[in-house]
Amino acid sequence: MELTGLSVDQAPPISAPLRFFLTAPLFGVLAGILILLSDTTILISRYSTDSIVITHAITIGFFAFIMLGSLTQMLPVLASAKIQNVKNITLISYFLLTLGLLSMIFGLKLDIKLLISLSYMMLGIGFLIMILSILYAIKGVKHFTATIKGMLASLIFAFMIVLMGMLLLSEYANNSISQYHYILANVHSVWAIFGFSGLLIIGVAFQVLPMFYVAPKFKQFCKKRVVILISIGLFIWLALNIFAENYALYAKLWIATFFWAFATTVWLKFNRRKRAVSDVTVLYWRAASIFLTLGSFLWIFDEFFKHEYIVMVAILIGGGFILSIMIGMIYKIVPFLVWFHLNAMGYMSIPTINEMIDKDLAKIQFTIMMLSLIGFIFAFYMPKLLMPSAVYFIISMLILEYNILAPVFIYRRTKKTEPDFDMSAFK
Amino acid sequence: MSTIKEYLTNDHRKCDEIFAAMEDKASESLESAKEITAEFVADMEHHFQMEERVMFLEFEQKTGMTQGPTEMMRQEHAQMRALMQQLSEAIDANNKDKFFGLTETLMILLQQHNMKEEQMLYNMAQQHLNAESDRIVDMMDSLIVE
Repeated sequence: MELTGLSVDQAPPISAPLRFFLTAPLFGVLAGILILLSDTTILISRYSTDSIVITHAITIGFFAFIMLGSLTQMLPVLASAKIQNVKNITLISYFLLTLGLLSMIFGLKLDIKLLISLSYMMLGIGFLIMILSILYAIKGVKHFTATIKGMLASLIFAFMIVLMGMLLLSEYANNSISQYHYILANVHSVWAIFGFSGLLIIGVAFQVLPMFYVAPKFKQFCKKRVVILISIGLFIWLALNIFAENYALYAKLWIATFFWAFATTVWLKFNRRKRAVSDVTVLYWRAASIFLTLGSFLWIFDEFFKHEYIVMVAILIGGGFILSIMIGMIYKIVPFLVWFHLNAMGYMSIPTINEMIDKDLAKIQFTIMMLSLIGFIFAFYMPKLLMPSAVYFIISMLILEYNILAPVFIYRRTKKTEPDFDMSAFK
Repeated sequence: MSTIKEYLTNDHRKCDEIFAAMEDKASESLESAKEITAEFVADMEHHFQMEERVMFLEFEQKTGMTQGPTEMMRQEHAQMRALMQQLSEAIDANNKDKFFGLTETLMILLQQHNMKEEQMLYNMAQQHLNAESDRIVDMMDSLIVE
C-alpha cells in the first residue's frame, strides 16, 4: 500500500504548485491586454485568430495552470498518489507550457510560422508529461473514490484535447487548414470545457464542499454515476457531431442538463452548509453556480440561433464558471500551503491563513472581476463595453496576483528567520 | 457493530458538526462560544486519543510499522493541538479576527488530515485488523480521556 502524501516530506515542494499559481494571473493580464489590442468586431467570431489567442491565454495560461498546480498538490492528499520525480516533471512542464503558450500567442498574432511550430511541440510535450505522470500515479491507487474517478476522466479528456490541439496548431503552422479543422476545433473546445475542466471541478467538489464548508454530502447517485454519464454524453455528442449533426442537440441537452443540475446542487448545498462563515471563496462558488446555469441554458438556446451566442456561452461558462472556481480555489490553497510548509519547518508563531490575504482586498478583486465578466457578456450588444471590461479584467487579475503574492512574501520573510521551535537537534 | 473505518469516520463528521456550531456561536460573540469551544477541543482530544492510545498501537503491533503513517498522523495531531490551544487564548483575549484565522487554518489542516486517514490509514487498519475490529471499536468506545 502506498504511504505517500502522509507528511510534508512526501508532499511536493511548495515551489511546484506555486510556480503555476503565481504565473496564472499574469497570463490573465496578458489576455486582457490582447483584448484591448483587438478589433471588437473580430472577437464576435470564435474562430478568428484574435479570439483563439485570447481564449488560450485564459484556458491554458489560467485554467490549465491552476488545474495542473492544484493536481500536483491535491493528488497526494485526495488520492494518496505520488507523482514520480515531481520536482523535475513540474519544472520542465512549467517551462515548456509557458514558452509554448507565449510562442502560440505571438506566433498566431504576428503570423510567425516558426513560433507556431515551436508552440505545438512545447505545449504538447509540456501537457503530456504532466498528464501521463499524473495518470501513472493514479494507476497505483487502491481505493478509487468519486473524486479520483472525476480526476481520471478529466485527465483522459485532457490527453485527447491536447492531441487535438497539437493537430489544430500544426495546421496553422503548415498553412493547411483541413476540411475537418472546424469540427475538430469544436470538439476540442467542448471537451476542454466540459470534459477536462468540468469533470475535474465536479470530482473535486464532491470532496471539497462537504469537507471545507461542512455542506451536506453529495448523493451516491451523483458520486457514482454523474462523471461517467457526462463522459458518455460527450462521446455521444462527438459521434453525432460527425455522423448525424442534426441530432447533436440531444447530446448537448444531455450534457447541459447534468451541468445545470450540478450548478443547482452546489447552490443548494451552500444554502444548507453548516459553516455559516462566508468568505470570498463562497462568493466565487455562488457566482460560478449562477454563471454555469445561465451558460448551460444559453448553450442549448444558441443551437436555435445559428450559434450567434456561442461567444457569450464561452464567457458565461469559461469566464463565469471555470474562472470563478479556479480563483476561489487558489485563495484557499496558497495561504494554506504557506502555513503548512512553514509550520512543518518548525515555525510556530506565523500568521493564520486569514491574516495572510487582506479579506477586503479579496472582495474588491471579486467585485471588479464580476463587473468585468458582466461587461463582457453585454458587450455582445454594446461593443463599447468591451474595452472598459478588459481594463477591469486586467485590474482584477493584478489584484489577484498581489493577493496571492502576499502569503508567498510572508513565506520568504519567515524562512529567513530562525524557527521558534527548537530545531537545534536536527541541524 | 460498525467497522474501525466507519466508527472513526463517523467521529470525524461529528467533530466537523461541532466545529461548525462553534464558529456559528463565535460569530455572535466569543464569550458565548467559550463552552462549545471547550466541547470541540475535548471531542477532538477524545478522537486523537482513540487513535493514539488504541487503534494506532494495535496497528503498529500488527504491522510492525511504528515510523510509518501512524507517526505522521501523530505529528499532525500535535500541529492541531497547538492550534486548538491558541483558540482558547484568542477567546480569552477576545480577538475575533485571530479566532477565525485559527479556525480557518485548523479547518483546512483538519480536513486534509481526515482525507488521508479516511482514504488510506483507516483502510489499511481495517485490512490488517479486520479480525479484531469489534474488540478495537469497543475499546475506543469505552476510552476515558487522560
